[in-house]
Amino acid sequence: MKLGITLFVLLAALPLAVRSDFVLTIFIFTFIYGILAVTFDLIFGFTGQLSMFHPAVFGVSAYSTHLLVVHAGLPFWLATLPSAAGAVLLAVVVGSICFKFRLKTFYFAVVTLAFAEMIRLIVLNWNSVTNGTLGLVVSGRPTFWWPGAGWVAVRGPVAWYYVTLVALAVTVLVCVRVLHSWMGRCFAAIRLNEDLARTLGVDVFRYKLLSFAVGSALASFAGGLYGYYTGYIDPGYLGINQSMEILAMVLLGGQGTLAGPIVGSLILTGLPHVIDLRGELRAMLYGAILIFAILVMPRGIVGSLVAWRARRAA
Amino acid sequence: MTQLVLGQVLNGAIIGAMYGIIALGITLTFGITGIVNFALGEFMMIGAYATYALAERGLPYPVAVVPACLIAAAAGYLSNKAFFRFTRNNLVNGLLVSIGLISIFESAALLLWTATPLEMSYVLPGAIRLGDVGLPKMKLVVFGVIVVVIVGTYVALARTWLGRAAFAYAQNPEAAQLMGVHTPRLETAVMLYSTGLAGLGGALYASLYSLEPAMGGVYVLKGMEAAILGGIGSLMGSLWGGVILGIIEAVGSIFLPTAFRDAYGLAVLVAILLFRPSGLFGSE
Amino acid sequence: MLLEVRAVTKRFSGLIAVSNVSFVVAAGEVVGIIGPNGSGKTTLLNVIARLAPASAGAVLWKGENIGGLRPDQVATRGLVKTFQNPQVFAELSVLDNVFIATHLALKRQLGVRRVAELCGGGRAAEAALRDEVEEVLTLCDLTAATHQLAGNLSYGEEKMLGIAMGLMCRPELLLLDEPGSGLGREELTNLATVLVKVHAAGTTLCIVDHKIGFLRGIAGRVIALDHGEKIAEGPPDQVLDDPKVVEAYLGTTRARA
Repeated sequence: MKLGITLFVLLAALPLAVRSDFVLTIFIFTFIYGILAVTFDLIFGFTGQLSMFHPAVFGVSAYSTHLLVVHAGLPFWLATLPSAAGAVLLAVVVGSICFKFRLKTFYFAVVTLAFAEMIRLIVLNWNSVTNGTLGLVVSGRPTFWWPGAGWVAVRGPVAWYYVTLVALAVTVLVCVRVLHSWMGRCFAAIRLNEDLARTLGVDVFRYKLLSFAVGSALASFAGGLYGYYTGYIDPGYLGINQSMEILAMVLLGGQGTLAGPIVGSLILTGLPHVIDLRGELRAMLYGAILIFAILVMPRGIVGSLVAWRARRAA
Repeated sequence: MTQLVLGQVLNGAIIGAMYGIIALGITLTFGITGIVNFALGEFMMIGAYATYALAERGLPYPVAVVPACLIAAAAGYLSNKAFFRFTRNNLVNGLLVSIGLISIFESAALLLWTATPLEMSYVLPGAIRLGDVGLPKMKLVVFGVIVVVIVGTYVALARTWLGRAAFAYAQNPEAAQLMGVHTPRLETAVMLYSTGLAGLGGALYASLYSLEPAMGGVYVLKGMEAAILGGIGSLMGSLWGGVILGIIEAVGSIFLPTAFRDAYGLAVLVAILLFRPSGLFGSE
Repeated sequence: MLLEVRAVTKRFSGLIAVSNVSFVVAAGEVVGIIGPNGSGKTTLLNVIARLAPASAGAVLWKGENIGGLRPDQVATRGLVKTFQNPQVFAELSVLDNVFIATHLALKRQLGVRRVAELCGGGRAAEAALRDEVEEVLTLCDLTAATHQLAGNLSYGEEKMLGIAMGLMCRPELLLLDEPGSGLGREELTNLATVLVKVHAAGTTLCIVDHKIGFLRGIAGRVIALDHGEKIAEGPPDQVLDDPKVVEAYLGTTRARA
């Protein structure tokens, strides 16, 4: 916890030291993807459910947030709330179906993938609402109230940096609280030994669903932010490629930890910018990293560090 | 109308047979070695592009098919040696490694050939007329080849010593080893066969349809659907699952919007997994 | 009367594992269930705890038919079962294992208010739970192993951990499935001491085991099963001298003069 607060302060101070827009941009993407990765890890690393549904929540929220702002005239922050509610609804429906039928890990992954694909197809073809493959251009900006200046629009890398940093911090904070509570213990129990958890009184179905819902609700904020930051939303947000990127981040950084996904996000977001790679080579790199992480370093970077420290202390 | 439906059924059966080949490969690999090869579609893609490349160099199509299959099988061998054999009985790892491989192969194909769909020049033009219905000759040939391959596989597995050994291994690896079944060789054999078969599917696919690097991903998802639909324990079931899936999609697009074609199969898949997890022909 | 097992039968496609077994357990008792291997003891416990459905008959907990409930619902009502092959959360420490089991206790204590724990509240409740966890660990002789990984424990310690987790659920009736199996003499004595203490503290016990001597010392009443049927019931000495029970264990009738 103390480490987290130190890091937060350091990161908050970063824009004062670093002037480069390039570096700030990398961090902005790191933070947004970090939210996605951390929330995914809540479901996968902590509760043990390999869900391929996360990008669907991400993408749908990006669309819904923007559409609510444009068509219902809601300010950005207000629009994220119904989006989050929608994300939870989606998660509950899909999750209920999957968990009710007690799908084992592999089948669970396939069915969530199937559902994500179905939704992607709907988004792709519902031209009247989503503009299909052409995607939507987002020209508005989130606004917030700053004392003395009234309603200010988020403009420029520095402002976005802070907005996304705070969003990530809030997400991490929520996850910390959840994981250290009785909820987190139930998640761990489910991940480690579902049958035993049941005999100890844990309603496995309810807690799996809860983890799915919480993870999805938080991920929906990432969707809204991403759409507004990049200024463009398209059905690719819901694709399998996104699942792969998120997985790579979590596995590389360390599943079952909160810092791991963020570290993974930093490395995988920053790397293609530091090493200038064409899109295809970048994809190959992701694939290679995924395989490397699974076979050689299943605990990921952070996980391996934690284990190493534990061994030294013993 | 009959022409339309019949034509679509044939189309669906052919495409479905290709799903089935992938499904067979996945089921066979998993059943015997405990490895999930979710990247099998990529080997189909390799076979397809290899055939195209060889044909472009002047090799006549039927001759090009053979090296194409071998290339796909070689790629499969290497993938197993380097990666897959470490994921035995670990479904999640196998899935993740597969996803990584899909990314690598697909990107390689993109680099070599770009995303532009490629078409082979007509291999066997013309159609046979059956009353009112016209059936393209090449499609019939492809279908015929696939049927031969399937029957051959079935016979090999059900009747020969190798097939029985394979299933003994699947039931109890240690006991099989003690009885003299050379297990690593068996694993390699299964890998080579499933990827080579996928390569053949790709080569056949190349003669009929246009190629793009993403085809592997599409086909493996369909193959997975077919395998689950047919029942992941049943080999012939997965083949039938593929054909059924292909026909559902093809006929479905007559009556319902084509854009959602992929979704019909998915919906059926979800329904099957929920209500009859052992699949249509499965045993558990 | 806490638990009533009424004419329970369990079939596994043709094989009858439990046949028409009936008995009751009253609050405060220690009831033993004995029988040779294969007599259906474990299956019976599994049916009672709703880990498997009964083919016929009913199980009533405090008057309520629990046949349609999930295992976690049964546990919530105060009926908890431990496993013969110890089930633990191998990657967590002993302390964390028992802590997970506090879930039920917390739910009963705080109900909806436990949501406050998410916002940082509930400290008092957590502190109280921590005390209780330590108590349970001491009771089960696991204090020395508190921070060890559950996966590294010895077999006997794992069994004790299983019991500790069961106890942490604050059950009214604890069903123990062969707690003594695989234990050495000293560990067995320890186990007996622990169970006596647990019973004295107010938990009703129903113990399945095939170690007759072990049960003789602690059970107030014993039920004997053979081939899925109840063949004897009564005070331990009476049941253990019953010729039917002796025959079930030894397999042959002693030669008559």
